[in-house]
Amino acid sequence: MPVAAADGKLAGLPRLGLGLGLRNVHFDAILSGEPQDLWFEAISENFMDSGGRPRAILHAVAERYPVVLHGVSLSIGSTDPLDRAYLASLKRLAQDIRPAWVSDHLCWTGVNGHNSHDLLPMPLTEESLAHVAARVRQVQELLERPLILENPSSYVRFAQSTLSEPDFLRALAEETGCGLLLDVNNVYVSCFNAGSDPIAYLDAFPCERVVQMHLAGHQDFGTHVIDTHDRPVRAEVWELFRIAWARTGGAATLLEWDDHIPGFDDCLAELRKAERYMAGDTVSSGAAECVRGGDGVSNPVGFLIPRAMASVMEDAA
Amino acid sequence: MSVLADMQSRMHAALIDPHADPAAQALFAHDGRLGAAGGLAIYQRGYFLRIAACMREQFPALCHALGRALFDDFVADYIRDCPPERHTLYDLGRRFADWMEARRPDGDAPEAWVDFMIDLARFEYAAFTMFDAEGNEGNVFATSDTADSALRLQPAFALGRYRFPVASYYHAVRRGEAPLLPAPEPCHVALVRRDYITRTVPLSAPHYTFLAAMLAGSDVDAALARISARFGIDPMMARDMWCGAAGSRERWIEWGLFVAVDAGPVKDI
Repeated sequence: MPVAAADGKLAGLPRLGLGLGLRNVHFDAILSGEPQDLWFEAISENFMDSGGRPRAILHAVAERYPVVLHGVSLSIGSTDPLDRAYLASLKRLAQDIRPAWVSDHLCWTGVNGHNSHDLLPMPLTEESLAHVAARVRQVQELLERPLILENPSSYVRFAQSTLSEPDFLRALAEETGCGLLLDVNNVYVSCFNAGSDPIAYLDAFPCERVVQMHLAGHQDFGTHVIDTHDRPVRAEVWELFRIAWARTGGAATLLEWDDHIPGFDDCLAELRKAERYMAGDTVSSGAAECVRGGDGVSNPVGFLIPRAMASVMEDAA
Repeated sequence: MSVLADMQSRMHAALIDPHADPAAQALFAHDGRLGAAGGLAIYQRGYFLRIAACMREQFPALCHALGRALFDDFVADYIRDCPPERHTLYDLGRRFADWMEARRPDGDAPEAWVDFMIDLARFEYAAFTMFDAEGNEGNVFATSDTADSALRLQPAFALGRYRFPVASYYHAVRRGEAPLLPAPEPCHVALVRRDYITRTVPLSAPHYTFLAAMLAGSDVDAALARISARFGIDPMMARDMWCGAAGSRERWIEWGLFVAVDAGPVKDI
């Protein structure tokens, strides 16, 4: 797909407003209530190979709401060959669900035929840029749509990196026509851990390429923070959102919550806080809460099936 | 190998085995709040904890049987020997039972509890797979009026044979009970899904043979002939087991085991 064609398709993507990550604990609430002014982001891998209830639920949700697909295993930065079976399955799902767009992360998830199920950081070098750009072009060609890539949260910086993440993503977008998903919680997490300034990150970020934004909660361990998606959005992240949302010209905004997920109405209430900052309200700093102990596992993907499954055992045949 | 490929290989190797390459942290800048070792440690810790959490979701009964600490120890060894390969987390447990069989902790002196754990792992993964397998929801199921010659098993169906009553143990754990390890007892079960509910159906040995024949492509008559031959059962009695007053036919149709097809030639296996 030529850059100009990708650019054109990108410009035509809708401004969806506020949305929620589609999680199994909310399935019944989403489908039983009156439709709201809302959209949903489905984790692609939770539905790609599904022949059971999750796929049926996604169909039903997509009939009532705009849906986007968000992947965690494209592994666009890996030096392994692109997984053609994965891409074919993703394309089938996209043809079936007709999402507003398809996104994934600037990361690699595995190498040498293995998958870590984590979003691992890229060395930000010219070699990586050329490598990722070539693969983005292949994916866009195959999916017949621009790919939307998200800045990941990170806990290390490769010693050989020569580019900043905003510069890397800007160059990638210009070379391929891909769009960007700006996760302001990831900006905060990565910058805090790197000891760098998140405002400077946003200043350098190509906000004009941003199609979507992510909000999420993280755990603050005092010495570092971890992107856990298990609690409300912190004040520092709301402030980044307030600044960035205006710069993107009103990008679609989505709340992710992947662990200790509250009820649907509580998630909606957290999401609706964004309206204050979209209206320009400044953020009052909340009391900092530091976590002592606990697992603090970064949470790139909710595992969907087990808690959604129902079963019975008969007495005899 | 490119510089990028080398860096990714070394970082991934450091996730699978944190002690394999102490120099791996040299890949990373030492600045920042975490430093190279601290940052890498977050990925190493997250790798195991994330997969262990998913494995506990896939194998709740095995986790109950072993206790969480021992279960996690098994998982740590398992993913070191068999790192995840596919993009889907649902695939994590696919090789677990075979790995336990190959790496039995009882070595050359087999112990029954190990056999139970292996069988339980096999059943749990079969049950887990059934929840999201291709099924027949949205399509027509067979009814009691469907001719025997048109009955075929639906796609979301599986059979299992075990040395222990693993299905009842599994369902007891799913109900929140704390069952004791059972004594050995041969166990045949079918798993079938209808309306997105997975049903476990305990089977007698002849019932298992009957359904195994159908799973291999036989029609009802050929499957009945199979159990008559295998178990020395009079053909009339075999038919009575199928469609007599206490036969299985009506219940199995109600539970969604069968779809109706245009009856054509079938192979008699």
